[in-house]
Amino acid sequence: MTPVAGAPPVLAARGVSLAFGAPPAARTILADLSFEVPEREFVCVVGPSGCGKTTLLRVLAGLVPATAGEADFQGRRVTAPQPDIAIIFQDYGRALLPWRTVSGNITLAFEARGIPKSEHAQRGAPLLAKMRLTEHAHKFPAELSGGMQQRVQIARCLAQEPRVLLMDEPFGALDAITRQTMQDELARLCESEHRTVLFVTHDLEEAIYLGDRVIALAANPGRIVEIIDVDLSRPRHQLETREHPRFLQYRHRLFQHLGHE
Amino acid sequence: MRRIAIGLIFPLAVIVLWELLGQTGVASEDGFSRPSLVIAALARGLADGTLLTQTGETFLSAAIGLFIATALAVAIGAVLGLFRTLERVTVLTVEALRPVPSVALIPVALLIFGFGQNMSVSVVAFACFWPVLILTIASVRGIDPRLIEVGRMMGFSLSMRIRKFALPAALPGIMVGFRIAAGIAIVVAVTVEIAANPQGLGYGMIIAQQSLHADLMWATLMWLGLIGWIANWGLLRLERRWLRWFWAQREA
Repeated sequence: MTPVAGAPPVLAARGVSLAFGAPPAARTILADLSFEVPEREFVCVVGPSGCGKTTLLRVLAGLVPATAGEADFQGRRVTAPQPDIAIIFQDYGRALLPWRTVSGNITLAFEARGIPKSEHAQRGAPLLAKMRLTEHAHKFPAELSGGMQQRVQIARCLAQEPRVLLMDEPFGALDAITRQTMQDELARLCESEHRTVLFVTHDLEEAIYLGDRVIALAANPGRIVEIIDVDLSRPRHQLETREHPRFLQYRHRLFQHLGHE
Repeated sequence: MRRIAIGLIFPLAVIVLWELLGQTGVASEDGFSRPSLVIAALARGLADGTLLTQTGETFLSAAIGLFIATALAVAIGAVLGLFRTLERVTVLTVEALRPVPSVALIPVALLIFGFGQNMSVSVVAFACFWPVLILTIASVRGIDPRLIEVGRMMGFSLSMRIRKFALPAALPGIMVGFRIAAGIAIVVAVTVEIAANPQGLGYGMIIAQQSLHADLMWATLMWLGLIGWIANWGLLRLERRWLRWFWAQREA
């Protein structure tokens, strides 16, 4: 997943600041954040809880306007949500439509794009297969495990055919084993399809394991304390990568920022 | 089968006791009639078609009124549930109109529509409007904001977000209001017929009473109970089918 040289960043934060409340009593959530997410790169944002990771993602998605600075998508300012930017929420249980089946949730993205109904089944089948959901296509979300529900949400976001995927602690609510499986599936998917991803997590090992680059945030106010370029070969391996000396070195560096809250 | 058999013990015992009290003259035939006579009257009423015609009139009034009320209440309730300011503007009006007894509207409806179906329909619609409205407002307001965000991220317009997200999400709540209203619809339709409107089962009961046909009066009453029970059962079945996802969620 090497970035395309010379290409403009897909997504960029330029001096993004966010404060709630009126000036004297204002609470600063994000303080002057600047970074870029180049095409085909997997960028992770890691930070302690309360550092504004989720808020940052919402600003980049166009759901929340920045108080100062701006979020740019392909060089243009993001002012409202747009289908080219997809977001995968942590709380899959709330993000899926409980009255639609698995395939119904996925075709929702086709409906939003105005794709004729006759093509829905044909276009949905490969996504179902890719996310290993084919045999569950006619089940309701409530009838699935947490990991499967999150795969449905990912499939729905892919059906949107976005240019960039924003992921807000997508595996945070899953058990450890499911989480590792999902990490590997996601990594494989993004490698094979050259996806551009901004992945938010509080788990620094997850950030190093998945990312080409890791942006470390500190809290109060949320600010960038370090950006690490991850030099670990792909495909990554749950044991070998995590035991690699450089992995441990990155972990050590990040831990110093995040370990002392 | 067993449960039905057990459930039948009590009503059958009551019928037998009733028949005995009637035969021995303890319960007066003028008021109580007897199950054997009531069933005979029911059979006559069904055979000559009067009971079926009356049923059609009553249930058509109830159904049309319920349908109009639901359509209006869901549309208005969705708007009031989505826009807080509009709800604040209308809350006093709603709270003032809601406690008005629908039966008190009979004289008004009579003057406006005269005798006939329209009058029944209008009173039924007024009575059914409120439960559906209140539950629609509450359930639309209770929608998880995350769902609406999902709709925005996918690029749906406001009207599509209402149709594809807000209304389905509010449907279980709206269905509760609808079933309450369905019960009210039959009660009100019959009440209007008993009080003023010369048609339907309610009017049939008044005529039976005035011509001292206690058997026909009881027969109509039982028929009404039976039809109401079947209607409620049908609605529950429909709800179970439409809201399969909702029950799946509840059981998970």
